Amino acid sequence: MSIVTIAPSHAKVKAPPKQPVSRDCGPDGCEIDWLVSTRHEAELDVVGFTQFAMEQGWGDGLPLVPPTDARVRGFLAASNRYPDEVIAYLPPMRAECTVEKIAINAVMAGAPPESLPLLIAAVAAVAEPDFELYGMNATTASVAPAMFVNGPIRNTLGIPYKHGCFGGAASSASAIGRALRLIMRNVAGQVVGVTSQSTFGSPARISGLCVAEWEERSPWAPLAERRGVKGNAVTTFGGMGTMNILDTTSQTPTEFLEMIGRSAAYVGTNGFSPAVPFCEVFVAINPICAEIVGKGMPNIEDVQEVIWKNASLPKDWFTAKHLEQLEDQERVRTDGRVYLTPEPKDVVVMVCGGTGGLHAAVVHSFGTSITQTVAIV
Amino acid sequence: MAKGFVLDPTTARADDITSPGPDAGPLAGKVVGIRVDQMWRAWDWISEIWADEFKKAGAADVKFWRSCGRSGEEGERMAAGLTAFLAEIDIAIVGLANCGSCTGWTVHDALQAAAAGKPTVAIATANFEEFAKTIAKRGGRSSLRVHVLPYPLNERFREEVDPVAYGHFPKLLVTMGAEIAARKPAAA
Repeated sequence: MSIVTIAPSHAKVKAPPKQPVSRDCGPDGCEIDWLVSTRHEAELDVVGFTQFAMEQGWGDGLPLVPPTDARVRGFLAASNRYPDEVIAYLPPMRAECTVEKIAINAVMAGAPPESLPLLIAAVAAVAEPDFELYGMNATTASVAPAMFVNGPIRNTLGIPYKHGCFGGAASSASAIGRALRLIMRNVAGQVVGVTSQSTFGSPARISGLCVAEWEERSPWAPLAERRGVKGNAVTTFGGMGTMNILDTTSQTPTEFLEMIGRSAAYVGTNGFSPAVPFCEVFVAINPICAEIVGKGMPNIEDVQEVIWKNASLPKDWFTAKHLEQLEDQERVRTDGRVYLTPEPKDVVVMVCGGTGGLHAAVVHSFGTSITQTVAIV
Repeated sequence: MAKGFVLDPTTARADDITSPGPDAGPLAGKVVGIRVDQMWRAWDWISEIWADEFKKAGAADVKFWRSCGRSGEEGERMAAGLTAFLAEIDIAIVGLANCGSCTGWTVHDALQAAAAGKPTVAIATANFEEFAKTIAKRGGRSSLRVHVLPYPLNERFREEVDPVAYGHFPKLLVTMGAEIAARKPAAA
């Protein structure tokens, strides 16, 4: 084995065949019963329904909104999507994830109806085989799919990209993130201790991580656009949790990026494990720092290069047995260092955060999950 | 409190193959394939010993296939490699289910081997036995054969692991439904 570079697979997931249902009557146009899910009799107040849902194994412990016919129909009508449309087959269950199931779980999570297109795009993104949801939903790691949102939909949905955007800002992002998590639980079949072996889990396994980019304050093109999708888009990333980097000292672009890169490199992260052939890393740069860096480095590739070079460790930082495995895999480079990601392009950079500056955020990757960007339509 | 009706948020997979698949039968002349990975050195040690034992038991050959990254171009190479591997073996021994994702992929590959009609056994450590069986059921084959090794395993030293390999080989043969031809007694 040697350095394994990250390249997408050649075959994209083909759209599943459409159901043989007449489209003469749209979901908001008549009273045809498009919804095929089993109906259960339950208490319709939040407390009673939450208790019922927990007994059924549908819940995450937080209060749930009862997904009545009226609520689910209203959710679907807002986007005029057909509920029988199959978006993906999600592992480990490999059962079909329809628009109807997405809507039911989103209603339960308290997500706004306008978020349905975002959730559909996110489901399609995580279902791409390159995202490696199969391993991610089963793993002992604490990983959860993060959603990074670009385009005008950021403001329509109120996805935060300023102060407290990773958590704490009052917004719909927590409910939208939670909706994707309930879909993982109820459709993909990811259940803690049953099909998920996560040793510690993560708060992001409840609320997800749904953040937007502060595009107006970024010196570079939006993240999704750099990845080939202009306008409304979601980028999904297999994130292991957030890591804060405080820098009250740096002044120049290189100094800021060197600090970020060096901080991201620690021996126990998945990217340095002999068990993980490759990984990416996500870096959120605050708008104040981004402005300074952007003046010196208008090309994002230069930013990625500096972070990448510094997100590496000399081989003698690894314990003897780890180093032995890494050397067997030919991952120690000629400069005597091991790099967190195979190439600079594998550093995923986005601008967001408050104007207080001082901090950067890093989200380490699960490993073989390759970041996906999908248009929101 | 008012009662009413709510929509079920879950999906279920109805299809299930309840057969464990064919027995391995007589080992004589057969090619045994062992799937290893890049995570567990203890599984490498055990599979090396089992390979020798299979040959002593009459297997014509033992072939190895190593699972690495399962996404991107690397994943495509792996998928093609697994298909080619299955085409050249008669019996599949697939391991090691010793963590979350590696149990998932171990069972995934075992299900592919079973679907190809190969007598197949997935190897799991005790902590991941139930998980492996659950994943197999949700993958559509609830009766996948699973042989269970002690846990923890990879944390043990080689001198502790080797006896596990030798001790478990006869039990593995039972799980596989394998037969060893009676050896001729040595000439007096």
